[in-house]
Amino acid sequence: MKKLLPIILILSALLFSSCVKQKEKREFFAMDTHMTVTIYGPTADVVAADAQSEVERLDALFNAENEDSEIGRLNKSRAASLSEDTRRLLKLALEYSGETDGAFDPTVRPLVRLWGFTSGDYRVPSSSEIASALALVDHDAVSVTDNEAKITRKGVEIDLGGIAKGYTSDALTEMLSTEGIRGAIVDLGGNIQTFGKKPDGSDWKVAVKDPDGDGSLCTLTVGEKAVVTSGGYERYFTENDKTYCHIIDPESGRPVENDLSSVTIVADSGALADALSTALFVMGREKAEEFWKSSSLDFDFLLYTTDKKLYVSEGIADSVSDGLDFETVAR
Amino acid sequence: MRMNKRDFVAIALVVALSLVGFLLFGRTGEKGKEVVIRSDGRLVGTYPLSENRELTVTLGSGKNTIVIRDGGVSVSDADCPDKYCVKQGVISRSGESLICLPHRLAVEITDGSEPDGTAR
Repeated sequence: MKKLLPIILILSALLFSSCVKQKEKREFFAMDTHMTVTIYGPTADVVAADAQSEVERLDALFNAENEDSEIGRLNKSRAASLSEDTRRLLKLALEYSGETDGAFDPTVRPLVRLWGFTSGDYRVPSSSEIASALALVDHDAVSVTDNEAKITRKGVEIDLGGIAKGYTSDALTEMLSTEGIRGAIVDLGGNIQTFGKKPDGSDWKVAVKDPDGDGSLCTLTVGEKAVVTSGGYERYFTENDKTYCHIIDPESGRPVENDLSSVTIVADSGALADALSTALFVMGREKAEEFWKSSSLDFDFLLYTTDKKLYVSEGIADSVSDGLDFETVAR
Repeated sequence: MRMNKRDFVAIALVVALSLVGFLLFGRTGEKGKEVVIRSDGRLVGTYPLSENRELTVTLGSGKNTIVIRDGGVSVSDADCPDKYCVKQGVISRSGESLICLPHRLAVEITDGSEPDGTAR
């Protein structure tokens, strides 16, 4: 036994370290953005490859720019049969649109196109152009049944870009839970979602980007959460010294222009966090806080204003570190 | 001080683990930034490696005195039976750790400043 002991120790240590230490980081381009999937576990390499395939599969279903995608076909023929994933995502999008009173709206596409954000040919449209595109923003004109979706008004179009990445990170963490993975963090174009724990058993550290610079506003320490930020700083154009951001207010038909510089949502679901980060950014600080207080949806927020103040909802106030002083918002 | 068989197994396990870890992932880490102290997996505290300090961690099972000095960290004193944590000396690189098995205490160096991801 004495002679065997070192061998047993080394063998078990080998096994132990290979389980705990294995890490696979995979970077790729999908959904018009850069993605990174980092997975810890004995089968990390295989699962990371599966994760990329899953993202590509969902991208091919959801991408409104692709006429052959399910959303592309739905926009074109105003009726299409949908796969389970597209149906679930579209239903979520419509649900959150209702919950946020249209601040998040998956039918804002005619306006996004008018301002040039689908093509890159940016321009400031006339008021009458905005008014006619605005008339086509109508999530009530979209209906989803068990196997089919319909658009009941001509000209209404769906774009799930404001929620698809969140849904996709939900799908990835769902996949990971069935694959024996210990921990993972996915970064889908800045949408962060975590799964399990870090190899050392600790929680994940997610920084929130400073809209005005290269640094971060603060660091959030989270368990299994989605952390999604929306702001006008990532995509925008400038004309006559005025900046127009890519998030269009579905009510005014114009790029959002209020007291918020960025909004970060922390929630269990990536789809919810994705849709709400856009919605609260559209609302502005006061309405965003009121929405949080009255909503039945379970989430926390971090609001960064144009005058560089940080407001954090009480549920995550203890998770914020390394950053600016902030004001805690209580329910 | 006499070592019993359990001490030996504990020490051998730690040595074997670090050795195998080193052989498999042999890159010596970068100079670390943060000292993370955990007891039983629970976070006791996180301290910058760049600031000299001495702290005593008192746990149900005993106490360890941890010294952070000149970019390194060590356990200067402990009332555990084997004092293995003290004998491990000074560590300074990211990924290195000091372990006191009897007190279930781990002192680890991380590159602290780096978040796992950035929401943007």
